Amino acid sequence: MLKLNNINKTYFGAQPLHVLKGINLNVEEGELVSIMGASGSGKSTLLNIMGILDNYDEGDYYLAGKLVKNLSENQAAEFRNKFIGFIFQSFNLIPFKTALENVALPLFYQGVNRKKRNLMAMEYLDRFGLKDWADHYPNELSGGQKQRVSIARALVTSPKIILADEPTGALDSKTSAEVMQILREVNATGITMVIVTHERGIANLTRKIVYLKDGLIESIEENDPDKMDFTKAIK
Amino acid sequence: MFNRDFWSEIFMALRRNKLRTILTGFAISWGIFMLIVLLSAGNGLKNGVTGNFADRIKNTYTIWSSSTELPYKGYKAGRFIMLTNKDIQLLETLYQVEEVSPVLSKGGTLIFGEKSKSVSLEGVKPIYKNIEGIKIIEGRFLDENDMKNRLKVIVIDKNTNEELLRITEEPSMIGKTVYINDLGFKVIGVSKGMAFGEMGQCYAPYSTLQTIYNVNEYYQLTFTTKGLNTKEDNEMFRADLKRKIAAIHDFSPEDQRGVWIESEMINSLETIRIFNTINIFIWVIGIAMLISGVVGVSNIMRITVKERTNEIGIRKALGAKPRSILMSIVMESLVITTIFGYIGMICGVGVMEIVNSIMEASGAGTNAEMEMSVFVNPTVDISIVVMATLVLIISGVAAGFAPAWNSVKVKPIEAMNYR
Repeated sequence: MLKLNNINKTYFGAQPLHVLKGINLNVEEGELVSIMGASGSGKSTLLNIMGILDNYDEGDYYLAGKLVKNLSENQAAEFRNKFIGFIFQSFNLIPFKTALENVALPLFYQGVNRKKRNLMAMEYLDRFGLKDWADHYPNELSGGQKQRVSIARALVTSPKIILADEPTGALDSKTSAEVMQILREVNATGITMVIVTHERGIANLTRKIVYLKDGLIESIEENDPDKMDFTKAIK
Repeated sequence: MFNRDFWSEIFMALRRNKLRTILTGFAISWGIFMLIVLLSAGNGLKNGVTGNFADRIKNTYTIWSSSTELPYKGYKAGRFIMLTNKDIQLLETLYQVEEVSPVLSKGGTLIFGEKSKSVSLEGVKPIYKNIEGIKIIEGRFLDENDMKNRLKVIVIDKNTNEELLRITEEPSMIGKTVYINDLGFKVIGVSKGMAFGEMGQCYAPYSTLQTIYNVNEYYQLTFTTKGLNTKEDNEMFRADLKRKIAAIHDFSPEDQRGVWIESEMINSLETIRIFNTINIFIWVIGIAMLISGVVGVSNIMRITVKERTNEIGIRKALGAKPRSILMSIVMESLVITTIFGYIGMICGVGVMEIVNSIMEASGAGTNAEMEMSVFVNPTVDISIVVMATLVLIISGVAAGFAPAWNSVKVKPIEAMNYR
């Protein structure tokens, strides 16, 4: 599903910062992968490159068999809209839109008509127990609810892959467990998922843990989350 | 692209961001409102001041008889020069002269019923009304028909009119016959007139009085000119005319006196210069206002779009194409500036129309005693208003476009993380 060959990325500031120094990684369809590393290890940058939210300087990145390199903005937008769903630490919901409208927004950019996209959005909200909150604005929702809205938004276009950047970073442990449960269920339906986290407990709930250090992959560990005691997994 | 969904997205975004919409809109409305108010006020000042001089801008000349200052060809100094029919003939041969009206002056006593009053009776031609700027408050002034048929008709002044009305039951003197030096004249009009003390001032056709009195000497000749547009033209014409009149009456062409030639045109040219200065002043104010409006609106637009950088980033992550984002931002600014610009325009024009009607009703801005006005009809040409509004709308949209283009061009992650 995802294939990264020798990805290099440097931020050119006052002091050039070589964040990714040659990443080689394959993510197969239906996999549940976490990327772990200390802050500054380049894990978020890697995820952004996977999501075509950022570009890379060297190497090749294949998404669903297609080379993602020097895309035009329009092509990138199409890729993101069709293949990728995003979940962010800070939710990134649009504050002046209701939960329903936020979920429906990606469908607007697909040209789905209003009636149909509201119907689909409502379906996804219902799936995460938010039907009664459809008309609420993000600032009227709890952190867990917001993250569930953004999961619904990520899923509404039926993407091939979900990219989650610290999806539990802003949540308490109980809510984190709930969100992780949802993400695992989503993965169980066959959607590939990459989660960036710095929390051991979160990574332990994934099937493959990629350790990143100073812009390089240090090790890749196979993991069986079912062996983990779920309550212990998240401290 | 511009389907119903697109527009409902835009109007929803505007409705949901009420504070932002209203603040931006207010800035635009206020800018246009102030622009209109200031331009109108400037116009009011211009109309007021120019109104005072308006009837004086004309191509008229007056020649006054006077006494000489220099001895010449055996004549002693101090000889009084009366203007004659020869001077009239001279004027009629000059191509610069359009129309001549001699002023045939006769003193006399006006009698109406029991009332008698001393008046100055002046025989003039219809053109004299324009030359002297005579204002008719009732009836009419002399016309060509009166001249041609040598009718015994008369225009009396306001004071005389009021005095005569006091001894009659009638509401008007028009059509009544008054007697001057035992000759009956029918009153055809009342002039606002400048009364000199107790003396009344009456106008009768020149031809009529000429027939009655057979006058050959005048204190005053008036005429209009054509084709003399600059101060230089007029001064050359005046010097030339003076020499020619001096030759007719045998006084020195060097004589400072002899006759006085007064040119309203030369005075008017000064006035025109004042008008032009006022005009330039108003345009400078207007353009300065427009610039400050453009700066204000542009700044608000720029900040508004900057504020939305995060939102733009999120939309891009969800698969929005640059064109779609750009169009929605541009259309939002366009909708906002157009609606509020229109509101500001209506308010500005409305307020100035109200001010105008109140001022007209109360007579404020003009000084009735002095017959001077300083502030009249403070309104502004609607095409200028529309142009100014368009400039503000376009500059507002253009100002929003640049930051929108920037946030559309940056990588989505940068836009999302923008603080």
